[in-house]
Amino acid sequence: MADDARYPRPLVDADNRAMLEAWREGRLVLQRCAECGRVASYPRPLCPHCWSERLGFEAASGRGRIVAWSLVHRPNHESFFAEAPIVLAEIALPEGTNVIARVVAEPESVRSGRPVEIVSEPERYPLPTFRLAGEGEG
Amino acid sequence: MMPRDIGILGYGETRHVKRTERTQFSFFAEAGRKALESAGLDKSDIDGIAVSSFFLAPDNAVTLCEQFGLSVSWAWQFTAGSAGPVAGVIDALHAIDTGRANVVLCLAGDVYSVARHYRLMENFNHSLYNYAAPHGFGGPNGLFGIIQRKYMETYGLERAQLGRIAVAQRQCAMHNENAVFRVPLTLEEYLDARIIADPIRLYDCVLPCAGADAVVLGALDRIDAPKRVRVLSGHERHNHLPEEPCPLSGGWETFRDRMWNEASFGPRDMHFVQAYDDYPIMVAIQLEDLGFCEKGEAGPFLDAHDLTWRGDLPLDTNGGQLSAGQAGAGGGLMSVVEATRQLRREAGGRQVAGCERGVVAGYGMVGYGHGLSASAVVVERGG
Ligand SMILES: [Zn+2]
Repeated sequence: MADDARYPRPLVDADNRAMLEAWREGRLVLQRCAECGRVASYPRPLCPHCWSERLGFEAASGRGRIVAWSLVHRPNHESFFAEAPIVLAEIALPEGTNVIARVVAEPESVRSGRPVEIVSEPERYPLPTFRLAGEGEG
Repeated sequence: MMPRDIGILGYGETRHVKRTERTQFSFFAEAGRKALESAGLDKSDIDGIAVSSFFLAPDNAVTLCEQFGLSVSWAWQFTAGSAGPVAGVIDALHAIDTGRANVVLCLAGDVYSVARHYRLMENFNHSLYNYAAPHGFGGPNGLFGIIQRKYMETYGLERAQLGRIAVAQRQCAMHNENAVFRVPLTLEEYLDARIIADPIRLYDCVLPCAGADAVVLGALDRIDAPKRVRVLSGHERHNHLPEEPCPLSGGWETFRDRMWNEASFGPRDMHFVQAYDDYPIMVAIQLEDLGFCEKGEAGPFLDAHDLTWRGDLPLDTNGGQLSAGQAGAGGGLMSVVEATRQLRREAGGRQVAGCERGVVAGYGMVGYGHGLSASAVVVERGG
């Protein structure tokens, strides 16, 4: 087991503070634009779709579906080496955006199209992280 | 439109090496001197500079001039990763056309290595630093592994089809004394190689190395007609498909019709393709986006063509980065150098017989999920 305190961590700034603070409580929130109603893949200082500044954060379902994935045998940062291989996935969220995130799972069980859900372990994972969910729950 | 009386006058490149004591300046100096000699020009002719490098900081295009004793009226520095050096050639030609400079030296390269690659990718930009590195993302290997699997599952591409790219390019590299890998590579070795970020394996990845590339641009009547290389058209695109992390296209499709129209040629008229090969999957996507085949048809297209310098679709005839190595940002100019060498019929054992024109593409600046930048130029033998 790697020393999780050494995982690289996102820098907190005025744009992403609400998202990262929510995650510290184990909740996934997404940035949604009040003007066009669309969601950003990661927090921005303006809506990347319509450039509105009327942005807010809202609770997400915490569920999604794997679009595609890779199995990373050589993570970039040494703090992940002991846990490799790591499942990295593009995940479609029902709120209307796709994100890149880690899926904590046995690699043999991972398939594109499988539903996933948030792992509420913010003390361990620096960013919202997923695990496989039962069919029909995505 | 590109000016037709201005073009590429000379080229130079250093050997690619895995380890070195030499400085970045030293590699640039060697490539620049060779390019100037190839152009038959004098140091005093240079009055413009364009430089592409990931590790040049704290230096820059201007302090490089100080190092090299150059006084210039135009200085350009890259963005867009390895789409940048190709874009720099386009910009430099326009700069000459509008009188900002007469002769521009374009340099690209890095003293790159595996260790520097991992450090660079950890903090390549804000979105990767904040939202990919904390997931243990594996750098570009992890991201392009997602894209490759998505492409394979969407269109039924097989690894053996991508392997044709790596194997053919290795055959070319065996005739390139500057390449880092010059031993034969079989399809079986490609298929069975060590897994890096499944479905990406070892021979899908480039080896970071040290080296530099250079071209000299100016009025074509400065050199003999057979040595002239004209840039018929060129375009770039950045952040195509905003908010789509892992698209199955790279951005070339946004300008390809305009690029071919301005060149008055199409894909079937090309005698070679110098594609940007950070991964074979991106070469496949690039061939589609540039119009060589329909979207989703890259697999059968690769099967149907001989991709070596002797074949009907010569691809990355210097071995590409997959076999020659990736000298950081030099990877984006190496393809321009190779196209120039081919069109001047100076490619030795890997010469594409009778080639008159080809296309050169750049790609890079990996952001949240994929490379954000695409560029390409159509080049033709002068006269
Ligand atoms: Zn909006």
